[in-house]
Amino acid sequence: MRTTVLVPPGEPSVETPGMELSKSAAKYAQRKALRPYLILAPTLLLTLGILIPFVAAIYLSFTDFTLRSSDYSFIGFDNYVSMLQNPDFWHSLVVTLQYAFLCTTVEMLLGIGVALLLNEENPISKFLRIILIFPLMIAPVIGTLIWKLMTNPSVGILRTPMSWVGLGDFKWGASPDTAMFSLVLIDAWVYTPFVIILVLAGLRSLPKSPYEAALIDGGSPWFVFKNLTLPMLAPVLLITLVFRLMLSLQEFSIIFALTEGGPGDTTMSLSLLAYNRGFPFYGLAEAIPIMLFLYLIVYLVSFILIGFWRKAQQRASGVA
Amino acid sequence: MRIRSPKFAFVVASIGAAILLAGSPGSARAEESKFDWKQASGTKLVVMLNKHPYADAIIKRLPEFKELTGIDVEYTETPEENYFDKLTTALASKNGNPDVFMTGTYQLWDYASAGYMEALDQYLNDPTQTNPDYDVKDIFEGVLNGGKWDLVPGHQTGTGSQWALALGFETNILAYNKKYFDEKGLKVPKTFDELYSLAKQLKDWNGAGSYGVAVRGTRNWATIHPGYMTTFTNAGAKDFEIKDGKLISALDQPLAIEITKKWAQLVKDGGPPAWSNYTWYQCGADFGAGKAAMLFDADILGYFQNVVSPDGKKGSDQAGNIAFAPPPVMKEGDPAGANEWIWQIAINKSSKQKKAAWLFMQYFTGKEHGTWAAINASVVDPPRKSVWDNADFKAVMDKAPGYLETFNTIIEHTSVKFTPQPFFDESTTNWAATLQKIVLQGADPKSAMTELAKSITRNTSKLKLEQPEKKPSTSK
Amino acid sequence: MNESVSIFTLVGRVSKTVLLLVYALFALFPLLWMIIMSLKPDSQMFTTTFIFSPTMENYSAVFLRSDYPHFFLNNLLVSISAVLLSLIVGVPAAYALARFHFRLKEDIAFTILSFRFAPEILVILPLFLIYQRTGLYDTYFGLIWVYQLITLPLLIWILRGYFEDISPDIEAAAQLDGYSWWQVFLKVLLPLVKPGLVAASLLCFIFAWNAFTFPLLLSDARAQTSTVVALRFLASDTVHYGQVAAAATISALPEVILALLIQKHLVRGLSFGAVKG
Repeated sequence: MRTTVLVPPGEPSVETPGMELSKSAAKYAQRKALRPYLILAPTLLLTLGILIPFVAAIYLSFTDFTLRSSDYSFIGFDNYVSMLQNPDFWHSLVVTLQYAFLCTTVEMLLGIGVALLLNEENPISKFLRIILIFPLMIAPVIGTLIWKLMTNPSVGILRTPMSWVGLGDFKWGASPDTAMFSLVLIDAWVYTPFVIILVLAGLRSLPKSPYEAALIDGGSPWFVFKNLTLPMLAPVLLITLVFRLMLSLQEFSIIFALTEGGPGDTTMSLSLLAYNRGFPFYGLAEAIPIMLFLYLIVYLVSFILIGFWRKAQQRASGVA
Repeated sequence: MRIRSPKFAFVVASIGAAILLAGSPGSARAEESKFDWKQASGTKLVVMLNKHPYADAIIKRLPEFKELTGIDVEYTETPEENYFDKLTTALASKNGNPDVFMTGTYQLWDYASAGYMEALDQYLNDPTQTNPDYDVKDIFEGVLNGGKWDLVPGHQTGTGSQWALALGFETNILAYNKKYFDEKGLKVPKTFDELYSLAKQLKDWNGAGSYGVAVRGTRNWATIHPGYMTTFTNAGAKDFEIKDGKLISALDQPLAIEITKKWAQLVKDGGPPAWSNYTWYQCGADFGAGKAAMLFDADILGYFQNVVSPDGKKGSDQAGNIAFAPPPVMKEGDPAGANEWIWQIAINKSSKQKKAAWLFMQYFTGKEHGTWAAINASVVDPPRKSVWDNADFKAVMDKAPGYLETFNTIIEHTSVKFTPQPFFDESTTNWAATLQKIVLQGADPKSAMTELAKSITRNTSKLKLEQPEKKPSTSK
Repeated sequence: MNESVSIFTLVGRVSKTVLLLVYALFALFPLLWMIIMSLKPDSQMFTTTFIFSPTMENYSAVFLRSDYPHFFLNNLLVSISAVLLSLIVGVPAAYALARFHFRLKEDIAFTILSFRFAPEILVILPLFLIYQRTGLYDTYFGLIWVYQLITLPLLIWILRGYFEDISPDIEAAAQLDGYSWWQVFLKVLLPLVKPGLVAASLLCFIFAWNAFTFPLLLSDARAQTSTVVALRFLASDTVHYGQVAAAATISALPEVILALLIQKHLVRGLSFGAVKG
């Protein structure tokens, strides 16, 4: 802080010589206390707009509102109770957690691995750094459509290469045994680039000096990665994890475009369950508790992870 | 009214011109007679359409419509996967947007029960609002009835108010690769068992991954209504029955289970390898690419795969090799009918421009547009008899061997085979999921169908099987 | 000894390159396939692989004979505006969250983030009704506003890290030179966070551009975006995978061009702070 004691960061012109300090200081302190809120106000106003529909949705969840009619009455917690009593709900919860866990794990590991490889200074890595994020630029629905076509066992391009390894009849999204695998594959195709780009950015902004020191000490690459890179990278990894985990818990379009929750109920995630209830089956009020439950999970998990992130960030600042 | 026209010759000439011009933009004029098409001039309609050739035919002729009526039309075309969700959301908001919408005959039961649709009888019966030339009787009865229902769950379509009018429809029949059948001397299957053994035999008929018969299998209501429902009802099975004044699912009946078992076997041994990912367009594409030897689905789906445009552009690899036959029946000699699907248009109950909306409906379900669209814009199952008798249309259809014959054979027994009830989407989606479980997860057909029937009955048994009371104007 | 080490590193380097190329194949082949599909006529879509008679037919069907260009421009307008609005509002917010100490700071920061994770299906119907009533339905502003849920939290959370990395000393020094706070912000701080700004904007743009549920249900003929409309080409009379592929290829162009333009900043610009030391 040294010289900045006199000039708190973020203050406007502080050159006010000859003024009576006490009076202005009080006013000044007041203004200063308000400033962050004022700066944040537009953001909050814009995003809090969402609170209105959010509250409206919660309100509707205590009614028997359907898309069939505008008449509805209050039914208390009935929708919540019947949700918890419905075995389909618990099945979908398992599917959702499975999906999110698999996608996040695959994407994080793959993303970190590829980012490490891309971080090396050679022509191939340099060339691929930008190119490899291109899958992000295709809307997930359309990406899924392309994969669906490629993996089609009758007309798809992948049939021939699969038959080389004796899997010519592999059914991808059309078999209960491989539907989840296929979804995770597509999700990984779409979103691993997101992990790559964030991790790579983190890697490239790491300070050089600790590495030079480690090199002199003769640490193995694994030792350096574990004791230097990982701790310093932890904040980036955590925030990337938050984004991927939260969004894969809610993934809708990829599953909808490939399997619609099938075969049977094998890939019926909570998002799809709620969607089916709410829109094609008209029971909007019954669908809301499902989404609220999902949001609650998302909120709690991200709250905990963000706590870790804060700590990791402080630690990383210490290392660096 | 027309008789008053002083010059008989002129009348003859104008009728002749109407026939000759059917298809050219100017023909709207010829049909004009004395009906006031301009009565809602200056209004602007919002129309919601599903992406479909029948919708494209409307869009192509909006300029003519505007010229005739002075009505502006703003439209959206939504991809089919998302169309009904968007439409339901819009209708539920009850603010008059859209004025006119495209619907399917099964969705109509939901929308009409919910009070989102305007009954059309008052317009049809009002000569100031409906052109005397409109000629409702020209529409096939089975197709017209698809838009009629008395709102009583369990009552078949065809009684009560007219809620919607058809743009075009689809019957579900068997299309096959004639070239290949002729080469190998294969017989077109007449019974379901023949279909099964042929489909099984044809596995890998045209290279790895090719198979016998393309049928749908996604976890979606759309899986049930084509080949499966056609087979199901041709065999005499029922989806619902009324017991003690309650609508009860009949899917747990022995016959229903038997047919389902057979269908599942067909899918397993002769259907597409990725069946559960297949909706109509994958089926059509495989058939057109020569990967499926047969297609048991909408007639128009096979038809489009067969089209070779005048400039020689082929709709698919196998275009020109395709022919059509009636759906196979359970016992040889049983009358073959088909479950039908109808694309219709209807008026939003809360529309604020119903007069203009009705003019729109009238124009685009009328003879003149119907004829034009059938000949020039791929509306290949037109709802009007006069169009099927039209020489130009016949000439177009002659390029699809067996199409007209098949149509004429089955039309008598073709109708909407589902029992109308407002839980259509939920029941049939669960039905599709059950089929998937039987085909892919080894579920026992009997217990799976019993389970399904139970879940459907849970909803439908709550329905009151009577005309809904007219509520004392709750509209706000 | 020396020899074995070099073989070891050589094998390491080769296997690393192979791994990278395997991933690149996985990531890029579907895109290549999409472009190939966009050049195939319908009749050869499934019967040929790499050898076919290429056609621009799909592109002309999408771009010349449909209203796709209108929706493409809509998407440009809506996505760019959404990112701009996020920048105007979000950059100062990110700064405030990084620099000031105030009550509820972390709670506010987390609340903003949590909006990014609000399930779309939960809010879409009430939002739809509100939009219908307030006239925001099917308007550009309506979409730009709702896109803030997608863009704003991401932007703020990336930029916050950047502002935290800037030493307060720099600001102080600039102020001592007689700059006002705004001048410091614009002339000193913004250039320092530029890499983050550019990269975060691109990511936001990508996510806004590819948004599906919101434009599907909250817009219609006027404001609908190309992402929704692209799917329309799939199926009408026959299946037009080629046209969808053409529409998707065209649709990816703005993103690709943008990414290539800013590639210098892109990778450096996306850290979430605290690692630059």
